[in-house]
Amino acid sequence: MSTTNLEILQRALLREKKARKAAENILEDKSRELYSITQQLKEANEKLQSGLTEKTSELQGVFDNLVDAYVLMDLGGNVIKLNEAAKELFGYDVPKETVNVVRLIYKEDFNYAMLSFNLLIETGSFSDYIARVYTKSKGVRWVHINASIIKNSKNKPIGAQGIVKDITDQRAIEEQNKKLVQDLEKSNEELAEYAHIVSHDLKSPLRSINALVNWLREDYKNVLDDTGLENIKLIEQTLEKMEHLINGILNYSSVNNIGILKNENVDINSIIKEIENTIFIPKYIKIIKKQNLPIIKGDKTRLQQLFQNIISNAVNYIDKEIGIIQISFEDKSTHYLFEIKDNGVGIEKEYFDKIFKIFQSLGNNKNSTGIGLSIVKKIIEIYDGEIWLESEPKIGTSFFFTLKK
Amino acid sequence: MKGIVFTEFLELVEEKFGLETVDKIINASNLPSGGAYTAIGTYDFAEMLSLLSHLSDHTSISIDDLLLVYGEHFFSVLARSYPQLIEKYKGPIELLSSIENHIHVEVRKIYPDAELPTFEIVEKTDKALIMIYKSSRAMSSFGLGLMNKTFNHYNANATILLDKIKADGTEVKFSITKN
Repeated sequence: MSTTNLEILQRALLREKKARKAAENILEDKSRELYSITQQLKEANEKLQSGLTEKTSELQGVFDNLVDAYVLMDLGGNVIKLNEAAKELFGYDVPKETVNVVRLIYKEDFNYAMLSFNLLIETGSFSDYIARVYTKSKGVRWVHINASIIKNSKNKPIGAQGIVKDITDQRAIEEQNKKLVQDLEKSNEELAEYAHIVSHDLKSPLRSINALVNWLREDYKNVLDDTGLENIKLIEQTLEKMEHLINGILNYSSVNNIGILKNENVDINSIIKEIENTIFIPKYIKIIKKQNLPIIKGDKTRLQQLFQNIISNAVNYIDKEIGIIQISFEDKSTHYLFEIKDNGVGIEKEYFDKIFKIFQSLGNNKNSTGIGLSIVKKIIEIYDGEIWLESEPKIGTSFFFTLKK
Repeated sequence: MKGIVFTEFLELVEEKFGLETVDKIINASNLPSGGAYTAIGTYDFAEMLSLLSHLSDHTSISIDDLLLVYGEHFFSVLARSYPQLIEKYKGPIELLSSIENHIHVEVRKIYPDAELPTFEIVEKTDKALIMIYKSSRAMSSFGLGLMNKTFNHYNANATILLDKIKADGTEVKFSITKN
């Protein structure tokens, strides 16, 4: 081998060595880089893993502790998972046994169930589905279901979950309540009707007695002595009082008929004027309006009844030489507050409650039937109001009442 | 420039012209690396230019012709290293038209710092392809060598015409017609 060739080979070898070392260094760096990346990946993976475990156990907790039944199914309706409440409700032990939700749907609710299922597929959820299901241990139960679609990470639907509430008992109670209210309404109606009929029937023999007593007096006024005539007069007075009573019951029983109540603008000022023309008000009694009274929405007849009963009470019980009945009101945003104040005999505090009860009359006023204030109370209740009074015996009484606007 | 381009180049020079020529052009070029290349290293492109021009001087073969031969050789290197990449394509036209949007995308995944030429497709039919080559390296002949071997690989022939759009060869039109 010539010297030149040897030198060429030596140089080539030198280059190869140098290149090999360079390659080794590069690979060493790469290894270090890879190692550090692997470490980072490992750490990130651990973090992810622990996060996942946490989330999984959180979800498991929610799943286990849910009071309502939780049902997880695939898109074919095959039940994948039931929580304890769901196992208890449906009586199936998934996954030990298989069950498809279609099998649980009550026959008559099938179409409704299919519509809801389509809604679930189309919109991703449905809520307030109320229907019946077959259960293994409890027979047919009423349930309330909210459901939603579950999607995978690629946003593709893979199943559905539902929260199922057993509302069988709740429904039974609701049904019972509904029936109770219906029964109550009916018996109330019957009662009002009964009172109406009875008072009507009582009125006609009363009129006959009245006529007969009249004839007695006319035909025998020369035969009867003073005591006899006086007694006949007493009979007539008693009959009159009885007629008042019966009219009162008639009025009272008709207040209940909310159905026929009108809802019109009623000017309380003109109501008062009408009352002044209707009832007898002696000259020494004055009705004073403290201010112009409001126009309120309501049934004119009932409102007149309300004011008239209180005012005529006041008139009846005024014992002063000059009687004053003062009417005023205040606007209380949702209600009107009225005050009707008189300077009559007054009422002892112990009677405050009693006076609103039917047939309770204080004193012996011949026009007092004990029905007026109970009618007043009823009307006020119709208008979501309240009534109360302040009174001082011998000085006077103030009736306060509110009426909803 | 990737080291494998240097190592394969020098091996080809050694194969065709002998170790003496390799030694000569390395000594003649003033190389920062000293001509010690490893396939996994990265070296300055100027070293390649220097080696090419000295080889051209030494052999009296034009740089373009040298690059053409080198390109033809380099195809076998790629075919050996990345057979699955080539198998993906049913034919040469399909492979060549995928350089920009597929092959170079994959290359960048392995070598993020690679400086690649662009091949912009102007026209493509079943039998013909027109592409514009753009690269500051002006190595279109290297590309031509690769293309020739691509057709060979699929047992096909083609007429490939090169049109320099820019005189320095940094922008060249390839008109490829399959025979």
